[in-house]
Amino acid sequence: MTEKHPFTIYWEPPLQNPSLIVGWSEDAGKLGSKVVDYLTQKLPAKELAEMEPTSFFPLGEVVVEDDVAMFPTSKLYCCPEKNLVIFKSSLPRSQWHKFLNAVLDVVGNYGHLSEVYTIGSMVSLSAHTVPRQLLAVVNSTEIKRALRKYEIVGNMNYETPPGQRPTLSSFLLWVAKRRNTPAASLWVPIPFYLVSTEDPWACRRALEFLDQRLNLRLDFRDLDEEVERQAAKIAQARSHSPHVDAGIRKLENNEGVTHDESERLIREIEEFLKQKD
Amino acid sequence: MTVRLHTEPRLENPVLVAGWPGIGNIGIIAVDTLKGMTQAEEFGEIEPWDFFYPRKVLIRDGELKDLEFPTSKFYFKRTANRDLIFFIGEEQPLGGGGVYAEGDKAYEMANLVLDIALRFGCQKVYTSGAAVSPIHHTMKPRVWAVPNTARLIPEIRRYENTVLMSDIEERGGQGTITGLNGLLLGVARKRGLEAVCFMGEIPIYLQGFHLPYPKASKSVLEVLTAALRISIPTTELSTFIERTDGEIERLYENFPPEIRQQLEKLRYVTHTKAQSQEPGPITEEDKRGILENIDKFFKKEPKGD
Repeated sequence: MTEKHPFTIYWEPPLQNPSLIVGWSEDAGKLGSKVVDYLTQKLPAKELAEMEPTSFFPLGEVVVEDDVAMFPTSKLYCCPEKNLVIFKSSLPRSQWHKFLNAVLDVVGNYGHLSEVYTIGSMVSLSAHTVPRQLLAVVNSTEIKRALRKYEIVGNMNYETPPGQRPTLSSFLLWVAKRRNTPAASLWVPIPFYLVSTEDPWACRRALEFLDQRLNLRLDFRDLDEEVERQAAKIAQARSHSPHVDAGIRKLENNEGVTHDESERLIREIEEFLKQKD
Repeated sequence: MTVRLHTEPRLENPVLVAGWPGIGNIGIIAVDTLKGMTQAEEFGEIEPWDFFYPRKVLIRDGELKDLEFPTSKFYFKRTANRDLIFFIGEEQPLGGGGVYAEGDKAYEMANLVLDIALRFGCQKVYTSGAAVSPIHHTMKPRVWAVPNTARLIPEIRRYENTVLMSDIEERGGQGTITGLNGLLLGVARKRGLEAVCFMGEIPIYLQGFHLPYPKASKSVLEVLTAALRISIPTTELSTFIERTDGEIERLYENFPPEIRQQLEKLRYVTHTKAQSQEPGPITEEDKRGILENIDKFFKKEPKGD
């Protein structure tokens, strides 16, 4: 007996060995969801399928965020012109292996997946004025070789420290590896004081790579404007607050900041970025 | 969802002894000690990925090399009296979002464990866990025994330092066992196997501290070895007990004085059946008062796991 996959599929797109981009909704700086939202809007990508949440999310309660009730969502979008599928999802809370396989199964219906990329962020102690790096963890030497021509930091050594757990992106890489599907998790370090707001520069860095690798021909003008706007606002914050300026200057000089200084920096930058132009 | 067997040992009417982590890790310490001391050999494991989230990733030079999952392994030992199968799960599968196993995944795992037990001709199962009790940490923990059939009650009554639910003050034979250590009893009953869960007592005020409580594991081990008619050295476990006793004593000294004063009364709790023996040094009313205060402070309900 085979178990029915948990997706409702809305249409049959003409895809052949597509690539898949994955963004998780819960992520520092909301980078994953911002990147996949940008792609679905700009390409554009049309909703392809939605996953039923019952097996993967606790449904005994709903979470309220910013006054609004949330609900776990897992959706596939597709852009046949670019032979691309995009998956945006909340992080499942149980049956992760089944969840990840279900995603790869559904996209695998259109031929063996060419490549899988997950988008994630990591908290960084760098200043926002430092260009964003792109780091990658791959699941095979073949994809590692293929990514060499891009400006990616790809020599990371890491073991999960005691008391912590691997990311779902690592789990997805492992599942893809067992299916002989090349996959990479992409990571952009985000300055710690932008983690709870947004970091358009980090978003652009991830998108630049995807644009080149998957030949998406994206026009980044709007995103560039957003990067400039944010930089201008933080510059304003620096001129208004000597604490903000001193803190960022320390980070720019790689001097590090104390716990209190970092807390204050986060608070003041957040308040400033929330203000309307 | 598969069980991988590395070898198929020939076993004669083996008994299954299973353990998962729980409060104070009482059950798993007992089962793991027994497995280690009998030098049981690994012979199979349940593939983990359908049950667990990975616990460790290994990345070298930018490449994911390995993902490590909690293990669920089977071991066997032939002894002069009887053959044994051990099952040790490093984690309980969490299907319902709680701390202990529940839902489909817990049921699937319990059935997989019993599939292997039945495949090797096993007809009896022992599991082990914790019984959160109003006792003091200086006392020798009793073992609460819950069988899945009334036929086993006479056997349980023969074991020293062991009580049935009906022997426990105010319980009247009722109670619950949380997680897989309990669920396995029920699934064994459904599949026609006799099973008993032995739960070592842990003081109510220690249940929330994520500390091992090997003193109770030792009590469980004494009953388990009696049930299996084997004897094992417990020197290593005694060293472990000495070490944790020291940690618990230090923790206890740091409790607020008013709480410690209440807890001190638990030193004088006697496990008496109210109608059959003389009352202990503290009354039932005292005990209720202590529990209410402890409960307010630690915000926990007494239960078994």
